[in-house]
Amino acid sequence: MAVRIRGRGVVKGTARGAALLSGTPISFLGDLDIRTGRVTGRLSDLCGRSIAGRILVVPSTRGSAGAWRFIHQLRQHETHPIALLTDELPDPSVVQGAILSGIPVIAGVASAVGRAAGDNSLLAVDGEAGTVDILDEGVG
Amino acid sequence: MRLTDKDRSMLDGAQGPVRREAMEALVQLGEAFDAEAMVDIGYAHVHAGMAMYLGDVELVERLAHDGARMAVPASSNIANADMSHWPATGAPEKLVTLQRRAEAAHRAMGSSPCFTCTPYWAGHWPTWNTHMVSIESGVTVFCNSVLGARSNRDGFFAVYAGLTGRYPNFGLHLDANRRPTHRVVVEAGARGTSDHTALGYAVGRQVTNGIPLVSGLGRRPDLDELDALGVGMATSGGVAMFVLPGVTPPYGEDDECGTGLPEIHVDDAGLRAVYEEMCSPDAAGFDIVHLGCPHASFEEMKHYATLLEGRRVHDGAQLWVTTSRTVREMSRDAGILRTIEASGARVISDTCPISCHFARTCSPDPGLGVTPPELSAIVVDSAKQARYVRDMVHCPTLFTSTENAVATAVSGRFVPRW
Repeated sequence: MAVRIRGRGVVKGTARGAALLSGTPISFLGDLDIRTGRVTGRLSDLCGRSIAGRILVVPSTRGSAGAWRFIHQLRQHETHPIALLTDELPDPSVVQGAILSGIPVIAGVASAVGRAAGDNSLLAVDGEAGTVDILDEGVG
Repeated sequence: MRLTDKDRSMLDGAQGPVRREAMEALVQLGEAFDAEAMVDIGYAHVHAGMAMYLGDVELVERLAHDGARMAVPASSNIANADMSHWPATGAPEKLVTLQRRAEAAHRAMGSSPCFTCTPYWAGHWPTWNTHMVSIESGVTVFCNSVLGARSNRDGFFAVYAGLTGRYPNFGLHLDANRRPTHRVVVEAGARGTSDHTALGYAVGRQVTNGIPLVSGLGRRPDLDELDALGVGMATSGGVAMFVLPGVTPPYGEDDECGTGLPEIHVDDAGLRAVYEEMCSPDAAGFDIVHLGCPHASFEEMKHYATLLEGRRVHDGAQLWVTTSRTVREMSRDAGILRTIEASGARVISDTCPISCHFARTCSPDPGLGVTPPELSAIVVDSAKQARYVRDMVHCPTLFTSTENAVATAVSGRFVPRW
């Protein structure tokens, strides 16, 4: 039986894939290599790992008015996360980038997902309903 | 969210697919931020469509192709290539050809193809209480703080707002969010635009996303200094508005509105620290001296012409002056473009060093043949340009005043501010 976590649906859309869990905020402008989706920001605990094709679980996004463009660039290079789960509501630029790029976003769920799921846990995300289903435990 | 009949007709597709797409996106944005309704906007400063970003020109091109037309006065933000004088920048022609497709799209959509980060100097001057949108954070802070218009720091959705004339009523569109959060006491003697970008940078770093109430300037800064101050704040922090009593509508000079707020002091040492931080110790010489960040106003062009009259840029150095194509034409009419160019300086429009093919953080279509040049350092007179040369061009910077930057270009030796 899957565990269901409810939060605030911010950007609609659905995704199903492996979780990538982080305990640090991420900046879409500056922390990521858009060609590979690899995290290059040293302040992120994901430094050296790739967000491409993953459901990115972070406490918050760090502000930058240009974030939307880099999210769109990740989408253009197909190195984007397929969904974004946070605790804090991301800033308007991130929300605009996610809407433009068709990436579902749910706020108010990252900590709960972090407790119930592991890295690589299979998740099903519904941005309209604001639900995250944890389909397996993953690792760690 | 409460929608009007007109909003609903756009959302239902009765006004065509472009307005449906735009309204759907704006409603989703509004719901994310608990906006109760949409407001009419009076102005939109929108995304250019940028040739250095894969598939980005196509974003605006597709809208124009599908029949998008601006519902309100609109201006286009800075682009990735000078579409007229590109050989002076060393840009590959294919990049310019792609960038020109965005120019054609803006002409079709009815947005002014001014391609600038300072549209106000090109005649786009929203007034008090005008709801507006802006993709450029420097425009947001100037329009909120100096003109009294109401703008958030927007992204691509500025285009959607321009196409519908509507925007969700949240953030700085609401009175409750336009009150100062910090009191800044300036104890530094800031003069000229360079110092004001540095002062703004020092403030923005401390107030992050807050609204600083600025006191202690000693005199009313001129319009270029006010612009520079806000741009500095928007660069180091997420500042979208400052309050300078006597300047920011509706605050009067003697209004007491900062009582009890957390205080921040910036003195000469704080100002100097910004210059020192932006002077890379590993800069071995320099290739380019740059003036005009943000894009120069006509008054700044006059200042450059005065500084450059009868002087020559040193052999082996380049002096770039960036401004909008509109101000460039004004400068030509006034006879000062000739003075500036006679010195050997290159006057470049539509772009700037951090927005052109120098940027290493972009990943354009490999077919465009973009190869960022190896640069030893860029001398700048703006904390904004300095910050992004470092972060995006990945080359050392040397930050000084406008006057000393000109002296640097003429002498071939870096002249520091302090």
